[in-house]
Amino acid sequence: MKKKVLSMFLSVAMAATILVGCGNSNTPASNTPASSSGSEASSDAGSADGSFHFEIVSKGFQHQYWQAVLKGAEQKASELGDTMNFVGPNSESDIAPQVQMLDAAIAANPDAIGLAALDTSACLDAITAAQNAGIPIVGFDSGVPNAPEGAIVANAATDNYAAGALAALETWQLIKDKVAPGTRIGVLSQDATAESIVNRGLGFVDRMADLIVSADLTVNVEGNDRFVNDTIAEKTEGADVIIEVLVPSSVTSELSTIDCQTLLNKADTICIYGSNQHSAEAMVTADENIGKFGSAVVGVGFDSGAVIKAAVADGTFAGAITQAPVAMGEKLVELLHAAASGEAVSDVDTGCQWYTAENMNDAEISQNLYD
Amino acid sequence: MAGKVKNAGSRTTNPLVEKIGGQRLVVLLVIITLFSFFSIKSEAFRQYSTILSILDYSYYITFMAIGVTFALITGGNDLSIGTGMVCYGLIGGFLITKMGMPVGVGLVVTLLCGILMGVLNGTLVAIMEIPPFIATLCTMMIARGLGSIVTGSMSITWPPLATEQGWFRSIFKITIGDTKYPLGFLWVIILIIIMTIVLNKTRPGRYIIAIGSNKEATRLSGVNVVKWHMLAYIICGLFTGFAGIAYAATFQAVAPGTGAGLELDAICGAIIGGTSMKGGAGSIVGTLLGVFVMSMLKTGLPYIGLQANWQQIITGIVLIVAVLIDVIRTKKSGK
Amino acid sequence: MGEIILTMKGIDKSFPGVHALDHVNLEIRKGEVLALMGENGAGKSTLMKVLTGIYKKDSGTITYEGKEVEFENPRAAQDAGVVIVHQELNMLSHLTVAQNIFIGREIMNGKMIDDAKMNEESIKLFQKLNIEIDPTEMMGNLTVGKQQMCEIAKAISHDAKVIVFDEPSAALTEAEIEELFKIIRDLKKKGLGIVYISHRMDEIKVITDRVTVMRDGTYVGTLITKDCTKDDIINMMVGRVIYEDPKAASTVPKDAPIVLKVEHLNAGKMVRDVSFELRKGEILGFSGLMGAGRTETARALFGADPKESGDIYINGKKVEIKDPMDAVKNGIGYLSEDRKRFGIVVGKSVAENTTMAALQNFMKGLFINKKKEDQVSWDYVKSLKTKTPTVETEVVNLSGGNQQKVVIAKWLTRDCDILIFDEPTRGIDVGAKSEIYTLMNELVAQGKSIIMISSEMTEILRMSDRIVVMCEGRKTGELDISEATQENIMHMATQRK
Repeated sequence: MKKKVLSMFLSVAMAATILVGCGNSNTPASNTPASSSGSEASSDAGSADGSFHFEIVSKGFQHQYWQAVLKGAEQKASELGDTMNFVGPNSESDIAPQVQMLDAAIAANPDAIGLAALDTSACLDAITAAQNAGIPIVGFDSGVPNAPEGAIVANAATDNYAAGALAALETWQLIKDKVAPGTRIGVLSQDATAESIVNRGLGFVDRMADLIVSADLTVNVEGNDRFVNDTIAEKTEGADVIIEVLVPSSVTSELSTIDCQTLLNKADTICIYGSNQHSAEAMVTADENIGKFGSAVVGVGFDSGAVIKAAVADGTFAGAITQAPVAMGEKLVELLHAAASGEAVSDVDTGCQWYTAENMNDAEISQNLYD
Repeated sequence: MAGKVKNAGSRTTNPLVEKIGGQRLVVLLVIITLFSFFSIKSEAFRQYSTILSILDYSYYITFMAIGVTFALITGGNDLSIGTGMVCYGLIGGFLITKMGMPVGVGLVVTLLCGILMGVLNGTLVAIMEIPPFIATLCTMMIARGLGSIVTGSMSITWPPLATEQGWFRSIFKITIGDTKYPLGFLWVIILIIIMTIVLNKTRPGRYIIAIGSNKEATRLSGVNVVKWHMLAYIICGLFTGFAGIAYAATFQAVAPGTGAGLELDAICGAIIGGTSMKGGAGSIVGTLLGVFVMSMLKTGLPYIGLQANWQQIITGIVLIVAVLIDVIRTKKSGK
Repeated sequence: MGEIILTMKGIDKSFPGVHALDHVNLEIRKGEVLALMGENGAGKSTLMKVLTGIYKKDSGTITYEGKEVEFENPRAAQDAGVVIVHQELNMLSHLTVAQNIFIGREIMNGKMIDDAKMNEESIKLFQKLNIEIDPTEMMGNLTVGKQQMCEIAKAISHDAKVIVFDEPSAALTEAEIEELFKIIRDLKKKGLGIVYISHRMDEIKVITDRVTVMRDGTYVGTLITKDCTKDDIINMMVGRVIYEDPKAASTVPKDAPIVLKVEHLNAGKMVRDVSFELRKGEILGFSGLMGAGRTETARALFGADPKESGDIYINGKKVEIKDPMDAVKNGIGYLSEDRKRFGIVVGKSVAENTTMAALQNFMKGLFINKKKEDQVSWDYVKSLKTKTPTVETEVVNLSGGNQQKVVIAKWLTRDCDILIFDEPTRGIDVGAKSEIYTLMNELVAQGKSIIMISSEMTEILRMSDRIVVMCEGRKTGELDISEATQENIMHMATQRK
């Protein structure tokens, strides 16, 4: 029996070693964001006066978007001579692991902390601890919505609501001739809980409803309850135009794709907007079998990545919104540096851009498009 | 007597077999009913592209489900298939897109990863005798972490169809002229036939059923139960590898940290198809049908305007009914 | 006397803490049935497991057909022609009869299993045995008796030269046992060596030629069956004489109050219009063949299975028994024929099992009063003479007879006045059997009443005050012990209506 148990442990340990070993050897160090430029930077900068160390807790590296944020942050940090440790959980549903990372960040006693919270309430204890330890926290990306007063000194974030509104405005230019009684505009949202994603959807829905009303048509929002209840558009029975918001029950490619297909197959759909990389990628997959984007239906995406860029380039998508992740990374480190120096800081909108097949190769835009 | 020998192969006279066959028939009817219902209710649903999509999104679940059917028949389970599938897709895709290897290598590595995981699961369950639920729960976590480590937590986008490396996507869907054909369904059918024969007509299949029925009795019959028990998990791993390829071909982008929960879709499919959670009984064709019930619900319900959460409730109810049939059947045969 | 085909000499086998076999000898001859007897735990099964390669012996020799052998595993033993028909049926209920018979050595057609051919071969085997079973039937659908026949067919299909039957009759009806004996005689005629393990003394007398007796892992001796009496064998087994004569007359007074009255009970096909009465202090025997509906009657009465109609009166008062909880509330306890499945929780201790049905009496607020539990359990261990080192010992470690006593203690703790014993001595060795009998007699002397379902005629005749006979779900007769004989019971038990 003892032998059996021992051999069991040995085998498991061996297997683990082999697997982990494989993983490491397959991964060039530069591709591992968790071990960022921190160490190099610190050896470069030494302990020169005025250099700070930051802990930055992101939402993970699942989407290439975060790679671009990391890039911007790294650039700015080495420019300012600061060091940083940039971490993030495995997926955007790993709320508890992110809290652990935040705890570890506080324990490292940095000069400032950057945080993109997955769930503010889960982070509250840690945030209070940071406050007590006198470590300033700068929010980025979706920031730390509903954080207690004074806990977050500043945010470097895309104004997601404004970004959604920009998408609506640009889309309107493309569809205003098509919008007529008996038409439908679809919105795909990855979930109905994360503030950043909800705001991108709401920004689009509200602005689009406004534009439709100003064209003397009535509009009603249907679908997911959160959006139906939170939109500023009034409820209208038998409206001319319907804006339908679909949210899958869980975040899987399959469910989002099916949602998009449902919209595509409705004869009255003239336009579909996917409010993040996940939803926009699902739109591309869904259209493979139907082929309506670029002809019968206007497709509008959000964020970039290989799939979405290709879709914009070949005309499947009329266009997409990109945030400025590189700028966000830079602004974040600037804010951290300022906060650590004791300067007064305030929120920064890191901006967003509308890109199409025509302008996506412009330098100003292409720097924010990532694979 | 002589007459019995003649139709022995078909065994039409057996009530238990009839019942299992009966369940398959019921499931088939359910699929047809659902399809008719959605088609009548929604104009948007009744299109060629819908069928194409149902098939597209069924491949990866079907492969996982065929695999896990073998684990279930032994009286075990394999929870690692969902995260495993994503993990193998990540590793294969990583080699292609980040290491510049040919697609073929990526595909083979994806399958190899599946087989390796099958060997690991088999070792834990068949040799070390760790309860399958626990063993595969652990490997599920290992697979999840491993996928993230290998890719540095970045999502992997397999080569798009338009590129030179994108040929692998035609394995499952081929475009001839302007029409797309669900080539993948042909592979599914072929694999279903092969695995049905393996399960019912060859020694490995016979012993896998026997182990699920009564492992000790099988051992005392001089059968190498460890070997065949392990094989069931290796088959499961191999098919999860297939699923990884199908997933990458369908969705192109594979994100680390995902996949948990997909194994349940596959297990549900197998159970709806008449595979017993207690082991000893199961059918590959039934599993295919069970997966289609799930796919039909997932695809069809949004068309009749049901919100996502209602879809889950209905799927849950369908599963309860399916398991109830299993329970009633076990009770009857137990007496 | 046939020539010797297999000899085991000085077989020694130890498990951690137990010297299971201590230099045991055994000799099997062609065309002869050798009985292997001994109380449970005497080492019979262990010896046979050593023979068939399931266990490795520590020392000793096995000579088979003139050559010294050591079978690596059951498969090797089978291939050499030494097979065992196990006590626990080794059937795969999800496979067909033919698939079961050929498990591990399927007939192949290329890479495919040739089921049709296997079915044909199975039929040939059954014809050899003169039995009729459909080889395409699922094993799980067969009766226990038929399953046993399949096991035997499987054994013979190995071209066996030596067949070991490990308690083959435990689950068989009288008719099936007759059939089994026919087969054994047939095999004997064909020159096979047969080892027959059983607890049933009358069977030993009928079917075997020699008897080898074991006790506590040692070889005691071998007797020629026809030259010895039952008592001789039993004395060798236990070293004490056991009284096994039928009861002459009922000890229950004619005017004893009726504690239980069942009227027109119906439940499914197996319980049709069954009525009977049970008096205080009485043992009411339920006799009949397997499938007569006795257990089903008990289960319906106890509320374990749903009943369609029928009235139950306890002490003259009509009661509703919808589930076992109702039955227990009314003072009825049921001791299942299948102890391991329904009677005890094998992984739990003696104390936990004892108080299981009456735990509410052992509560101290929200917690179980361990001290009281142990105290009461220990009292029963003493009064029932249960052999267990402590009340904390897990029941799985007790012998069958002692497990049965724990079940009895469980129902006594619950203050049950009516106890239903379903096959109380199945799988229990001779010594423990008589202890259970004594115990049952003590219980009725204390004013409890017992319904005893038994397939053993001697047990029925020895214990009952009155006997109800059933056949195919109907009550076909009722006898006072004074008028009961084996013959008239059998007559009623086969009286189809």
